[in-house]
Amino acid sequence: MKTTFSLNGQQVSVDTDAGDMLLHALRDELHLTSVRGTCGIGLCGTCTVIVDDKTTASCLIPVPMIAGADIRTIEGIGNDPVLQAFEDAQAFQCGFCTPAMILTTQQLLVENPAPSDDEIDAALAGNLCRCGCYFKIRDAAKLAATALAQRSGA
Amino acid sequence: MSGSRTSGTIKYAMDAAVDGMWHARILRSPFAHARIKRIDVSLVPDGVVVLTGEDTRDLNHYGCQIADETVLAQGEVRFAGDPVAAVAARTRREADEALVCIEVDYEELPAVFGAEAAVAPGAHLVHAQHNVSENDAAYFGIRPINGTNVCHKFQIRHGDIEAGFAEADVIVEETYRTDSAAHVPMEPHATLAWWEGDRLEIITGSQTPFNVRMDLAIIFGIDQEKVRVKCPPMGGSFGAKTFIRLEGIVAALARKAGRPVKMVLDRSEEWQTLNRHPATITVRIGAKKDGTLVAKKVTCLADTGAYADCGPGVAQKMGFASPGPYRIPNVWVDSSCVYTNTPPNGAYRGYGQMQSIWASERTMDLLADRLGIDPLTLRMQNLLREGDAYCTGEVMHDLQLEQCLAAAANAIGWHEGRKGKGLSLLIKGMQTPSRASIMLKHNGNGSYHIECATAEMGQGAHLAIRTMAAGMLGIDVRHVSISYPDTAISPYDTRTTSSRSTHMMSRALAEALKDLRLNGIDVGIGEVRDEGGLNPDTGQGIASSHWHQGAAGAIVELDDETGLVKVKHLHASVYAGKVVVRKAAEMQNEGSMIMGFGTAMFERIEIADGQVTNANLSDYSVPSIADLPKMTHDLIEVEGALVHGLGETALPPIPPAIGNALQTFGVRMTTLPMTPERVLAAIDLRDGRVA
Repeated sequence: MKTTFSLNGQQVSVDTDAGDMLLHALRDELHLTSVRGTCGIGLCGTCTVIVDDKTTASCLIPVPMIAGADIRTIEGIGNDPVLQAFEDAQAFQCGFCTPAMILTTQQLLVENPAPSDDEIDAALAGNLCRCGCYFKIRDAAKLAATALAQRSGA
Repeated sequence: MSGSRTSGTIKYAMDAAVDGMWHARILRSPFAHARIKRIDVSLVPDGVVVLTGEDTRDLNHYGCQIADETVLAQGEVRFAGDPVAAVAARTRREADEALVCIEVDYEELPAVFGAEAAVAPGAHLVHAQHNVSENDAAYFGIRPINGTNVCHKFQIRHGDIEAGFAEADVIVEETYRTDSAAHVPMEPHATLAWWEGDRLEIITGSQTPFNVRMDLAIIFGIDQEKVRVKCPPMGGSFGAKTFIRLEGIVAALARKAGRPVKMVLDRSEEWQTLNRHPATITVRIGAKKDGTLVAKKVTCLADTGAYADCGPGVAQKMGFASPGPYRIPNVWVDSSCVYTNTPPNGAYRGYGQMQSIWASERTMDLLADRLGIDPLTLRMQNLLREGDAYCTGEVMHDLQLEQCLAAAANAIGWHEGRKGKGLSLLIKGMQTPSRASIMLKHNGNGSYHIECATAEMGQGAHLAIRTMAAGMLGIDVRHVSISYPDTAISPYDTRTTSSRSTHMMSRALAEALKDLRLNGIDVGIGEVRDEGGLNPDTGQGIASSHWHQGAAGAIVELDDETGLVKVKHLHASVYAGKVVVRKAAEMQNEGSMIMGFGTAMFERIEIADGQVTNANLSDYSVPSIADLPKMTHDLIEVEGALVHGLGETALPPIPPAIGNALQTFGVRMTTLPMTPERVLAAIDLRDGRVA
């Protein structure tokens, strides 16, 4: 069946089975390999995308449910200070969890522009990084918060 | 490059694609041990390629150290998860659907679980006989014992153990156990293969391109030159992506299908593919009243599961690590690699060292208690110093153990009260013998390109190698590029394991630069070889050309009512020699500590009657950002020192530092992980409430 939604600001349509998940549509139909997903049960966080301004595990959302939705992946992030902060803090090793980690951090900062360490941890607790870059990821979140505050103050 | 990691444009093996490729899935045994009576594929839809043991009967046995594996089961399955058949179809869904159309009749057979049961007299044999592999990863005099489940037994016989214990005023003995753990790289195993005539092309996430090439050549009975292995960057590995994993099955499917075939494992299959060796280790140590160590006897059983993989090497390293970084005149070690009917265990960050340091360093604190000597003092008194001989007979150099230990003690305020605090210390060997080569090409415009077989799994070796080359050339790192491993192009390298690559490649690079300058041409090739090895019967020789060194400290709180341990602070002090890329080096320490924390406190593969019962990320927990205690660390540098690998050093000392901290509450932990149930049992034992 055909489902139409907005992906990074562009209208797209995919033809999938009713039971196919958004992850499948993004990776296999639309070839966005930045969206990863490996656990299939919404726990690893690597398939996280932003659906209508909410961080969402794309491995758990059937494609028909996102008809008309506004979906954002790392490709739609542009020159965002959050991405730059991850570069500056060198907050990644293998990079597999990184796009989802950046998207989740970006969404956190939209909702809470000056998060505490505990608030950062709570927001990112569903994004696993087996390389263990968590300390640098915290640094990146704080760097990004500062950069965004400066930008909005300027 | 880093930008591609944040932008998501980096391509892992999981993302590899070629035109016309099909997707593959594996049908696995539901039984830990069974005879396959019949496989019926008649219900599989047309247009799906099915591969069974029948199709792979003519392929050769393989295995990086013992040639005990077949591409698919040959009439017998040896663990729950053993591949029985495989399918390739146009889509993954069609492949999934085809799997359920295959009917297999099994006759269940008795199985053996646990290394202790597997070495008991009369234990059922997982393999009738053990043939040492022709792969060059079987390099160290493997000693299988046919007619038993032992596929390698390593021994150290140093000094006179009986005379040593006779001299001792105090003797302490304890047995320790560590559970299996999963690597959980975020990217699962993924392989893409196709044939061009009689040539095999393979793209796979692997730390061991040349070993994979060698075993594929063995499997198909073809020259190594006919196999090309390319290794894109991995989304983590930690030892999981070593030697042959999916490559044999995917290549055999591709040959039968006559087209490219790709396989990406489901997360649940990861627990059936490669895990960490559970170990049972008994330590007996003797000391004089003044704390001088006089004798140490250790027996290690490493449970390698149904196929040896590199278990013999793990058992050997577990064995020669078990004496610990101390001067002990009389040492006796038996370390055995044992088959059981469980999923195979292999390389895992720490490579046997975590298990043996857990046993060894916990025993040091038991001994310190018995002697009434401060555990820091006892370690300082006995640790190896420059020019001392290890129990292997080799003379130790470039030792910074004292500095590491002192730094860890200071970081946790050891001298301001000991309650709830623990320390541990380790030396860890590096792959020896080994060979590394590298090619440095001048592009003609002031920029350079590097070809080498060092795999990139997130550890940052490529950035480190580029940075070192740029430093030697006096140019900016942006002007040095590097390729991912490709056995058709990259010069030979042993493998990207044992935290050896940055160290070995730093030396190979210096040679390559010399070659380039000497010959006045645009290509320089550098090669370094480290010789050595141990006599497996005596443990004498050169265990390691280069020693990783580190210490850890822990501060914990204990809830006596619930057995809940709250880790307040972990510190690791690691000898880095010379740091190449600061933040990457820090993350090797931090990542190792976080993994060590998981191992210490909760990571545990649960196996019931041979079935992994927690093969998912809900029931098997790995540390998240919200689980972390305060963690600090040092990278100890010394003027003029060589680069030391940092990939694993900070992991093994974490569990014993926590265990030793708990001992200050009278709680004697012997088993990892230290779950609340186990801690409660130890509290009950302390308080005399034994059921």
